Amino acid sequence: MKPPLGRTLLRLFTVQGSWNYERMQGVGVGVAEEPLLRDLAVSRSAAAYRAAVARAAHFFNAHPYLCGMAVGAAARAEHDGTPPDQVERLRTALCGPLGSLGDRLVWAGWLPLNSGLALVGVSLGLGWWTVVGFLALYNAGHVALRWWALRAGWARGMRVAEALRQPVLQRAAAVVGPGMALAMGAALPLAAGYLGGPFPGWARALVAGVAGVGLVLLRLPRLGVTGLRFGLGVVAMALVVGWAWR
Amino acid sequence: MSLEQQGLLLVWGMLVGLDLASVPQAMIARPLVAGVVAGAILGDVGTGLRLGVVFELLQHDILHLGAVRYPEYGPATVAGVSVAHAATGALGIGFGAVVGLFTGLLGGVSLHALRRLNTRAVQRASDALEAGDAATLVRLHVTSLARDAARAAFVTAVGLLLAAGVRGFLVGTLTVRGAMVVAAAATGAAIAAGAAGTLRLVGGRATLGWFAAGLLGGAAGAWLK
Amino acid sequence: MSIKLFRIDDRLIHGQVVVGWGQPLHVGFIVLVDDAVRASPVEQELYRMGVPPHIDVIFASLAEAVAQLPEWDADPRPGIVLAGDIATLAALTENCHRVTRINVGGIHARPGRSERLRFVFLSDAEVEQLQRLAARGVEVTAQDVPTARPVPLAEFT
Repeated sequence: MKPPLGRTLLRLFTVQGSWNYERMQGVGVGVAEEPLLRDLAVSRSAAAYRAAVARAAHFFNAHPYLCGMAVGAAARAEHDGTPPDQVERLRTALCGPLGSLGDRLVWAGWLPLNSGLALVGVSLGLGWWTVVGFLALYNAGHVALRWWALRAGWARGMRVAEALRQPVLQRAAAVVGPGMALAMGAALPLAAGYLGGPFPGWARALVAGVAGVGLVLLRLPRLGVTGLRFGLGVVAMALVVGWAWR
Repeated sequence: MSLEQQGLLLVWGMLVGLDLASVPQAMIARPLVAGVVAGAILGDVGTGLRLGVVFELLQHDILHLGAVRYPEYGPATVAGVSVAHAATGALGIGFGAVVGLFTGLLGGVSLHALRRLNTRAVQRASDALEAGDAATLVRLHVTSLARDAARAAFVTAVGLLLAAGVRGFLVGTLTVRGAMVVAAAATGAAIAAGAAGTLRLVGGRATLGWFAAGLLGGAAGAWLK
Repeated sequence: MSIKLFRIDDRLIHGQVVVGWGQPLHVGFIVLVDDAVRASPVEQELYRMGVPPHIDVIFASLAEAVAQLPEWDADPRPGIVLAGDIATLAALTENCHRVTRINVGGIHARPGRSERLRFVFLSDAEVEQLQRLAARGVEVTAQDVPTARPVPLAEFT
């Protein structure tokens, strides 16, 4: 029988839709894995299917784009008749590497890289086409990663570590990091120029001053200052000044 | 702003809020995307882009480590654009930032509340889940998705109300110079957040070199422009 | 002492441990005390993957850990000792009077456990185990990441 990987992929796009503090992504992972477990009811028994579905929905947390690898690997292991406790232990063991790989590859790499490119494009006056380009490029990588992860997991089952050892992943991580640094490096002065451009000289000096003070405060983690808190504080002060200065 | 436009902004804010964590995480929740489409709905893509850049920079300050609470800038940008659009040019950025920052704060709080509700629902269903009841599993998931849609719509609606309030009461009380102080302060804060967030990601010496190269190139480009 | 953190976390090695604690403590090695992982090369490889190359990962059974704890403690590099459940860490620290603090980093939901904190779910028996540790003079706190507040045992049991 052909495994319903397409249906599982579609469900994986909602994998964090029921995120909760008790099972984290577990429920979403179970929902995505369930179609791959259905033929256990035929090949083995209804009880085997239900036990596998229950395991699939247990606690899980990793990078959302890479959850598919755990879904595929666990489903394949269930089909291979792997003992239940080993399936559970495989899922637990996958949380760490899939989380850290996704953080490096996507949250700290591909996403800020694309965001940086988009900021450069908008700042150079390319307008809304930049945003179309951002969505197309980012999601080409995003969807490819989800699909690859699911198929690699399903193909290997308990031997899923092989997929994570692939040199292409290391190479991707090695390219995406410097690319992100380059794109964001270029984006920051360009965006500052784009945002500051319409202001008169004194207001530009104010922009620079606030940015400088903010950067220092945000670089001192002990202070507990976040971008949101700093933004709210500075805007509140500016409202008072702006209202009084007539 | 017409009622149709308000309705469209509400729907767009809901989709943006859903995208952040639930479905499909295609990054329409990024402020740049959320802002441009909100601007297009209002016939003012320029303001959408400008406020989008401000919140896109602020977004870089957020690290996704563990279940740490973070603000939600997607629906916030949508609400912010609806007020920034009311003032001319760059002056509206300050008002947009006021509305956006508060809405972003509310978004973060609402996400935590949503996750608590989801937790309780999962706990209630735990016997059925342990029995491998697929129907309950799917129902639980779909209900949670619907809950997030309602949450995102609620946050956007509050943001739009806040925007209407700021348009009605705040915009008129500030002089052009006063509005400019607020806009400049918000812009400075956004640049600081973008720079701090990037520096946190740029770790080793090799990436630092690439960052410096980008910085030089970007500075040259900005100067030439 | 070289071991900076004794942690109970049922997810074992993951981002909060490696990045969250590993970076600020400048950790040079992580000891994972778990009999099942010690016996499974597949799992060992997966756990090692989540850790950057400059951090050593040592997989130990409980018996090995009891024997080697003084050796790790004499290591010049700062280290973390990690176990997936309370019983393992309690047994490991039973005869080691130098262990003064234990960090509860994450114990997740399972039938029979109830929620004590966002990241701590405990059965009544497990609460008793923790209280016995505290009675021995060990300071037990719950804290998932270093930037969070350490919650004293009395507040979550």
